[in-house]
Amino acid sequence: MSTPWTAGHLPGLAHDEVAWHTLTFGELAVRAPVLQPSQLTALARRVKQAAARELASLPVSRIVALLDAVIARLLDPRDPYRQEAERLLPAVTGYDADMVRLGLTGFLQGFRAPQLHRFVAEDFANPKVLDEFQPATKGGFVRAYGPGLLVHSWAGNVPALPLWSLACGLLVKAGNVGKLPSAEPVFATLFARLLAEIHPPLADCLAVVWWQGGDAASASATFAQADTVLAYGGNEAIAQVRALVPVTTRFLGYGHKLGFGIVSRAALDTQRGPAAARLAAHDVVRYEQQGCYSPHQFYVQRGGRVDPRAFAQYLAAELANLQQRHPRRALALEEAAAVSGWRHGAEMQALSDAGCGLVGAPDATWAVAYSDRAQPLAPTAGARSILVCAVDALEEVPPLVEPHARFLQTVGIACDPRELFTLAESLGRAGVTRIAALGAMTAPEAGWHHDGRFNLADLVRMVEVESSAERAADRLAPYAQEDRP
Amino acid sequence: MTHDDLVQALLAFIAQDGCSDAEFDAMALRLFAHQHANNAAYRRFCQLRGATPRTVKGWRDVPAVPISAFKEATLSCVPADSAERVFMTSGTTRGDVKGRHYHPTIAVWDASFTRNFARRFMQDTPRLPMAILFPHERELPNSSLAHYLTMAVQRFGTDASAWFVTTQGMDVDGLADWLQRAERAGEPCAVLGASYSFVHLVDALQERGTSFRLPAGSRLLDTGGYKGQARELPLEAFYAGLRAAFGMPRERCINMYGMTELSTQLYDDGNAVVPSVKTGPHWLRSRLVDPLTGREVPRGERGVLVHCDLASFNSVTAILTEDVGIASGDGFLLLGRAEGAQAKGCSLAVEEFLRANAP
Repeated sequence: MSTPWTAGHLPGLAHDEVAWHTLTFGELAVRAPVLQPSQLTALARRVKQAAARELASLPVSRIVALLDAVIARLLDPRDPYRQEAERLLPAVTGYDADMVRLGLTGFLQGFRAPQLHRFVAEDFANPKVLDEFQPATKGGFVRAYGPGLLVHSWAGNVPALPLWSLACGLLVKAGNVGKLPSAEPVFATLFARLLAEIHPPLADCLAVVWWQGGDAASASATFAQADTVLAYGGNEAIAQVRALVPVTTRFLGYGHKLGFGIVSRAALDTQRGPAAARLAAHDVVRYEQQGCYSPHQFYVQRGGRVDPRAFAQYLAAELANLQQRHPRRALALEEAAAVSGWRHGAEMQALSDAGCGLVGAPDATWAVAYSDRAQPLAPTAGARSILVCAVDALEEVPPLVEPHARFLQTVGIACDPRELFTLAESLGRAGVTRIAALGAMTAPEAGWHHDGRFNLADLVRMVEVESSAERAADRLAPYAQEDRP
Repeated sequence: MTHDDLVQALLAFIAQDGCSDAEFDAMALRLFAHQHANNAAYRRFCQLRGATPRTVKGWRDVPAVPISAFKEATLSCVPADSAERVFMTSGTTRGDVKGRHYHPTIAVWDASFTRNFARRFMQDTPRLPMAILFPHERELPNSSLAHYLTMAVQRFGTDASAWFVTTQGMDVDGLADWLQRAERAGEPCAVLGASYSFVHLVDALQERGTSFRLPAGSRLLDTGGYKGQARELPLEAFYAGLRAAFGMPRERCINMYGMTELSTQLYDDGNAVVPSVKTGPHWLRSRLVDPLTGREVPRGERGVLVHCDLASFNSVTAILTEDVGIASGDGFLLLGRAEGAQAKGCSLAVEEFLRANAP
């Protein structure tokens, strides 16, 4: 095994002041820092102070420009940071290298200056409220303050995911301490280092740490310093984090989600049907269905020239094609057992019900199950396993997904404009928060409302100078005229 | 060949002293042909894999049925309602759907049990007083474990044997009395039951501040694991608890690995070192496979267990379990269940979904 790569960004701490834990990803070893709880406390305080000193005074436009400079570097294929990301991310996540490269580029484009401005404008009609008191329409003045310290508990191995919350934290001028997920300790580390290089005063405004999952002492020490804690993960993990956050600290949890797709007969003529299947396959393959936005099921309407069963066949063919371009990552034994169990369930269903089928050999790297009857929404085993269900009418879908409202987020959709808005109404009511085109499920727009929430507005505290205070102050001015009302 | 001939051949096979590879293969192929011909659900399963009596050349080729299939299909060569006994899984993993294992005659199961138990647990002691920590077969007629323990007492227990668990709970007082008498009598005895009952018992005895030193030659048998039933605890703590409660050295604590879907049990030779090596008798062979491809994993790598149990003559001989193991000695180490791959991404995992939707 080669020399380990070092993860983390620890302003003010030398390498020999902390312990290191080695995470192994096949041939690659990554050293993750292990801090004492007292070191975490000190680090969090240092970050908070640095943010108050360096970040609080920067106009939001300046922060956008700095982030844009970081992103520009990460988009440049000749840049050493970009090359490091391209080398390491496939190794730690196991995803196909080309898929990571393409996915990363698409993802990063959403964080360039124009997109970041849009991101801010989405939450603040007047972005200047982040910089100074601005007149409020109701009277008086208003200003938005970000948390002094925002602690991020990241999860998941979808590459570069921490960029969402890091960009949010920086845009509201918070000091940021992020806890790396053991499954992807690379991106946040590179980002922090690059930001420090591009604008050294910010080096201390951001720390990237790690602790072993379940280490309550480390988590508590860090959370105790936070004004706001952001956590990503499964319900169990989020519950564990929440239990350690002081009750007066703001807590924002983003749980795991379950995506699905809807294909109207409008998209199922002989030209468009195969194209829709290609887009659907893309959504399945990108990040191996590990994203919160990834699809596990497609509801396909009957009555088109390409019927739902044929759609399933096209989808299978596209998945077989994509295996050539972006081979599936190697599965751990538990994952393989889960896929095998899911396949087997579909197989048994097919044996007892002629309306059901399973496309794909047992050792294929994908599996498409088909059902003649609309099935309630349920997760598959992932790793390119997908269920295609036939429906007569698109209106059948919202009631099928509605019982799982708390797990809904993204729907990938291919339909005509009239259907789009009718469905949007009922899907929104059912709990869906994002409706995207088929093929765009894994690439949310800049400024999207993650899980239906306000990314930036949820982080800030609004401070108001009411008009009464303004008037009262006027009366106390040295130039006040006593006789004026 | 008639059904009775097959049963007679099997009984003789179990009774013989070991077998050669060729003998094992021959019996496995004979049973495969029988099951392929008479077990419709299994035949369809084999068809999907292109396996027929012509293509299956040895026991390793016999298609292994995932144990979940016992819930979804009737895996039997005789009509289900003609079976002498039906064993059902406890049905804890998927709501109320229970896996069913049909036994047209229980004679083969019993013969498999008796031969194996005598050697692996009794170790040539003819009879022992037995305390049973599981309900009697009368209470749970469809439990293979209840039948197992009832058979144990019938064939290998003395008159002093007794049951201390009902579906209502455990009679800790009665059990404490029994253990005290056994301790005083100074004759070897045995305590057998579900692993989680031992956990309860150890907790209860500790609460009372009671402990025993069972006479030399005594032994314990636990089975089934205790995940989700009692408090979960690591194997080390489990055996430390047994030692504290019964004064039982770890090498005399035998763990039995059995399943409703099998007709034969596997044992270790004590648990001085955990996890311990599990092995079966000559009429059962195990493989470790990649669950997706069904191919054997290289020795030294973890795999999912496939058992080929010749005593399962009516259902299917080869089953794909959900248990992860690694080869060791002439058997394997059991490493736990291959459940719910820990979700690494942000997509909802099946396990979490099921938990969230549990009533």
